[in-house]
Amino acid sequence: MGYSITFLEMRGILLAQHGGPQQRIFSPLRTALHRFAFILLIFSAFGLMLLGKADTVLIERIRAASADLVSPVMNIVSRPASSINELTEKAYNLAHLYEENERLRRENQQLLAWQQAARNLSHENTRLRDLAHYTTPPSLHLVTSRVIADMGGAYAHSLMISAGSRDGVIKGQAVIADEGLVGRIAEAGYQASRVLLITDINSRVPVIVENSRDRAFVSGDNTTRPLLTFLTADATVAPGDRILTSGHGGAFPPGIPVGVVSSVSENAVRIAPLFRRHQLEYLRVANYGLHGILSEQRIRQSQAPSNTDATNLAPDIPAGVGVVPKESEIDAHKPMFKPPAPEGDRP
Amino acid sequence: MKPGVWHRLDVIARGLLPAFSVFVLLLINLLPVSLPLLSTASPSLALMAVFYWSVNRPDLLTALTAFFLGLLQDLLMGLPLGVSSLVLLLVQTGSASQGRFFHNKSFIVMWWGFALVAIPALLVQWLLSSALIGALLPIKATLISYVLTALLFPLVAWVLARTQNSLLRYM
Repeated sequence: MGYSITFLEMRGILLAQHGGPQQRIFSPLRTALHRFAFILLIFSAFGLMLLGKADTVLIERIRAASADLVSPVMNIVSRPASSINELTEKAYNLAHLYEENERLRRENQQLLAWQQAARNLSHENTRLRDLAHYTTPPSLHLVTSRVIADMGGAYAHSLMISAGSRDGVIKGQAVIADEGLVGRIAEAGYQASRVLLITDINSRVPVIVENSRDRAFVSGDNTTRPLLTFLTADATVAPGDRILTSGHGGAFPPGIPVGVVSSVSENAVRIAPLFRRHQLEYLRVANYGLHGILSEQRIRQSQAPSNTDATNLAPDIPAGVGVVPKESEIDAHKPMFKPPAPEGDRP
Repeated sequence: MKPGVWHRLDVIARGLLPAFSVFVLLLINLLPVSLPLLSTASPSLALMAVFYWSVNRPDLLTALTAFFLGLLQDLLMGLPLGVSSLVLLLVQTGSASQGRFFHNKSFIVMWWGFALVAIPALLVQWLLSSALIGALLPIKATLISYVLTALLFPLVAWVLARTQNSLLRYM
């Protein structure tokens, strides 16, 4: 055989090495085009990052629309998943029937005592309200919806629920589970909305400590234990203290339980939320008639007031909240620095 | 012979299959699961699928597709926009260019390859997300997410390989 290479074979080798006559021209062009497209895509990714930082209203609409897009599918697909969860839960309950029964019996005894106390207090409360001509807070309108998606992940703590603007859900409303506050509506689509959990790094909730009435913020940091921030230096907080929403800023109604203080150290106070994220199934969106400081309309309307006494914020936000007093005012009226009595203390 | 309309539709549908499979995995990622571990850190299923297709069929999952799948992931999961697009784009380009290395080798090699590719991918995602949010995100969740992603890869790859063999063999 040796050197007997036919013409056809020769041509084949040449083609394999250099490509055909057309390929010889087009192949560098194609690689150049591919490279150009790649660089273009890289730049558009960075462009998207900038856009996401700058124009939040547009991005929000697109996010809400994408939630609407997948919600019909997720609504159906999440059902079998939750029924599997139910099955495992049933098996667990069967195994622990006896202990659970004992525990509930004890709890029931305690709760009956509490019920009596609550009845007495409720009667006393109504009588005192009559005496003081107390105006009742706005009535509560609840929208119950199912959790259809959990964006579990290292970067964002949020859920998707099957209720949207169709059901009266608006951005900024409080989302509560049986146990307590879960988060707030981040974007409301037509039939689905995204809930930002209180553990998310972007979440800030104005709260008070139940016993000491100290004001603070619950700030998420993407761990399961959010931080209690902006506590005053003389605040007294101990592990086990209950944390409630304060209602300041008009975003959340006051008095919703948020969590229990889990650890207190030199530089951080952490709280344990009352809900367990992996067991959330049905959530309620609370519409208290407060639109919150988060609504776009409010943000657009609110120009910095020239004199702080005449704020043009809506009447449901108490004057003075969210308005930083001028230096001179602080000096002139020292008592102004003292926080006003929290809502819960009212008769 | 001129191919009929149905034949052409069939070809188009099969061509879209890789992108569609990534979309389905994205939705699976979104399912609420009642495991405490998965609610704090979940495996990145889309990353696995993008890697698998770029190694095996880079012609059917192009850089542009990877970019848009990343965008969809960011929109649905409430992540800072553009980060997943960049990560999936880089993974697609990198894996497609090295795809020939994995051909005719055992699956273990591909698994190792993926475990290596996933480290910078998740690191970039963590770094850029932290930068855009403006606070350092806890690295622990990313580590758990990485371990889950690397461990679950064979399962996803097996499903994708079955799909590829049954639907894309003659394409």
